Amino acid sequence: MLDETTRDAILKVRDEAAEKGIDALFTMHREKSHLMRIGNNSVSLNTSEDLTRLDVEVINGRREGSYTIMGDITGPDSVRKALAVAVEKASVSTPKDYDPISRMVEESAEEMLQYDEALEAMDPGEKAVVYREIIEKTGSHLNFSGSWSSGSTEVLLASTNNDNLAWRIGTDQQFTCVLKHPEKKWELASFQTGWQAGEVKAGNTIESFNWLLPIYQKPGFRVEPGEYTVLFGSQAVAEIIGMAIGTGMTGRGYEEGMNWTCGKKPGDSILSDRITVIDDPTDMNTFRFGFDMAGMTRNIFPIVENGRMMNLFYDLATAAKYGKKPTPHSGSASVVVSPGDGPECPMEAVKGMGRVLYIPALHYTHIPNRSKGIFTGSSRFSAVLLENGEMVSPIFSSRITDTFQNVLGNVAVLAPWCTSVNGSSTYDRRMPEAASVPGYMVSTGVKITDSAESF
Amino acid sequence: MRVENLERPVAEGIARAMNAGAGYCDARFFSEDGSETLVLYDGNLEANTASFESGLGVRVLYGGAWGFAATSRASDVSEAFEKALANAKTASMLVSIPLNMGVLPAVTGSYSSPVVQDPFDVPLSEKLAFLGGLDERLKADFVQRRVVFLYLQRMRNWFWNSDGSFIERNLLNCFADSMVMAQDGDGQMQRRSKSLLTPGTGTRGWEMVTNPDLWSGRAEGMKEELSQLLTAPELEYGRRSVILLPGQGHLQVHETIGHPLELDRILGYELSYAGGSFVTLDSFGRLRYGSDKLSVSAFGSVENSPGSFGYDDEGTPERDYLLIDKGILVNCLTSRAMISEANHTAGRQVFEHSGGASRSTAFYKAPIDRMTNVNVLPGNDGNLSDIIAGTEDGVLLDNPTSWSIGSNREHFHFGCEIAWEIKGGKITRVLKNPTYQGHTLEFYGRLSAVGDRSTWVVEQVPNCGKGEPNQVMEIGHGVPVMRFDDVITGEEK
Ligand SMILES: [Zn+2]
Repeated sequence: MLDETTRDAILKVRDEAAEKGIDALFTMHREKSHLMRIGNNSVSLNTSEDLTRLDVEVINGRREGSYTIMGDITGPDSVRKALAVAVEKASVSTPKDYDPISRMVEESAEEMLQYDEALEAMDPGEKAVVYREIIEKTGSHLNFSGSWSSGSTEVLLASTNNDNLAWRIGTDQQFTCVLKHPEKKWELASFQTGWQAGEVKAGNTIESFNWLLPIYQKPGFRVEPGEYTVLFGSQAVAEIIGMAIGTGMTGRGYEEGMNWTCGKKPGDSILSDRITVIDDPTDMNTFRFGFDMAGMTRNIFPIVENGRMMNLFYDLATAAKYGKKPTPHSGSASVVVSPGDGPECPMEAVKGMGRVLYIPALHYTHIPNRSKGIFTGSSRFSAVLLENGEMVSPIFSSRITDTFQNVLGNVAVLAPWCTSVNGSSTYDRRMPEAASVPGYMVSTGVKITDSAESF
Repeated sequence: MRVENLERPVAEGIARAMNAGAGYCDARFFSEDGSETLVLYDGNLEANTASFESGLGVRVLYGGAWGFAATSRASDVSEAFEKALANAKTASMLVSIPLNMGVLPAVTGSYSSPVVQDPFDVPLSEKLAFLGGLDERLKADFVQRRVVFLYLQRMRNWFWNSDGSFIERNLLNCFADSMVMAQDGDGQMQRRSKSLLTPGTGTRGWEMVTNPDLWSGRAEGMKEELSQLLTAPELEYGRRSVILLPGQGHLQVHETIGHPLELDRILGYELSYAGGSFVTLDSFGRLRYGSDKLSVSAFGSVENSPGSFGYDDEGTPERDYLLIDKGILVNCLTSRAMISEANHTAGRQVFEHSGGASRSTAFYKAPIDRMTNVNVLPGNDGNLSDIIAGTEDGVLLDNPTSWSIGSNREHFHFGCEIAWEIKGGKITRVLKNPTYQGHTLEFYGRLSAVGDRSTWVVEQVPNCGKGEPNQVMEIGHGVPVMRFDDVITGEEK
């Protein structure tokens, strides 16, 4: 955790800046990250990072400037230096044609609801032991890859606009294991997530592999382009819904005519009435942040209710420019998709539906046309052809190119239970994010537009 | 942390690791890893940010396995070596093929990006005046959105390894983009954009950013093309030739030649994230990757590119060599440990030496196999006009709007900003919402024309993502105009 000196240094400089009338937000971000990577049944990388970053954002009338440092942040002088750079940048900046909204920590907070010291201090050797067990019990003649990221994220926000201080520390982990057949080249994958030590279990991954290994002994099936009923797994559901929200429900894209939802207004039907999505920072399947990275307090926020468009996300700049109220969605979201009323087991759900493609996850999705809501991506791990709920054969790499309105509009069945899908990226600073989504979703008339003769 | 104070603790740290049984150890210190980002959106300066990072990263190979640790605290230098060694020892608990770096002669050297005027020394007000001037030129009645983007990077780093190598580098990159957008008659947002490119030669400081030939001089052309898109019909589904301008061709090459030819992907070290490759160790010297018009190099001795950096992050000088020679796959993007594993796995010498492609984006990230510059060599099929004149039924495409590639890079789908229809050797009209898709080997097999040197430019890529923890790397691609025949274009209704 941040030592008192660092915290005191920020507060001291915050108070000095406030006295001088500077409008500034200070964000301290500290991560203690560990990542083990597996390739070819070996640990290919075992890395630890302990990094502290300080962001200073300054508003000077209609001018803004910001500065981020990572390095020795040992006392008030380094904070003062960062502030001085941000102040200077803001003073030279060109003014905007609207009044920026000042960042303010709405309420003081001290959050450690999802903090587990044991996970933060986890011995990397334990990770190697779990992977070894998976390899030995599933079959060391197969090829295993994976990554297991774990660690803690600590954020502290303070602005010159009041005396509040928002602080949160939490732990998170994201586990992936990929099994590849060295000759046949198919890939199965298992994902686990959580925030406490001991949550990731070798047994869960072994069980999920064993479920599909028998069917993967059969030859691959090439799916001819056309329309299919698709049984999406939770990873795919989270990806499609996440992209649909990102390209449909952002205020900036909506105001500026880019979103696929343009032309619709709150209350209008945009998706199947089976789809209800909220942002819920209290949901335990997600990583919970009581405040966002602009200092705003987060509450339950309806996005889509029974297929009807509810609320759009407005970041500070968009809200200021278009005269809207900003919404607290800077940083980690807690997307929660309501469960449906389908049967417990996904295979039961597609009984009697004839030919169905089971696509648990999508690889490399992108948006060829945001205005029309078209997305494209291909099947990768663990995809299987089903006939009346029975597994028939694994399927080769197949591409879906379709619209959100169609895939999330023609939802036939949703699982009655939800699961946590970890969507954290390791691109930039650690910022855990997870969605709670139904365990499966059956959509009809999904367009397969290309397929390969290999996995 | 200062480099003068680090030389001794780093030398001692490396010696301690080696004495403890390590097979290899290296350390990289960034006294500065700085960036500046300026974004004008509809004339408003929506991003006016800068960042500064500094610290030390240590990598230790022990028992055939990697351990890595990094710190930004001067007091923790010695601890970083201990941590990296401990991490490597833990990693060595689970090793099937021990990694081996080989022993290479010590390399001492330095590299600086060619720069006349360091953009970090240019006053912010001057940069904003330049960007504001460009933004003014993007204005027109029908233009609804304007974006002008500038991203600058400056890195000063030092490298030491257990071979005795010592390398100092000063790297500088300038990336820039401009874009105009407007809604067409169907309410769909259309756009035209232009990124800062390089001719491959010259210097890469502020003088490159302000050279109108490389970027900013395209404002009128972008607006004209956007206005045509607003009333254009959509590209219809069908098979036809596609001619890729470098603005699109570089991404095609990046995704379907660059990535599948990274040796760590080929060996399966990216399966948990980015994916694998359809290329195998048996492919080299045998696989026909494309028509005999396709020759591709790595690095290519391009002096002005973000993929030109002197030495890689394990002390290997950057190397100019062919990846594809007249359609035949001959080499790939390699690092020391990956070539030793590949040769061991294949039971023969597939690769002679590292291609100098081991790169890391920050002091706190371990190097992985990356692209340097992956370049398609210019061909003999004339200039752009000649290639258009020789095309019966096709589309000329520019600038990506979307890209989605199969996990082994065996198939792909791209969307572009604009298509110009070509019938009977002539451009007939502009078409909107163009997309095309294909299968990599079949697609390059249908490469039917490669433009000459007049069509060749270096496109800069600032954001290639790979690895875990993910690393966003800067890369260059020298590409000419290319034509491919019998390609599926548009979407079936
Ligand atoms: Zn890339």
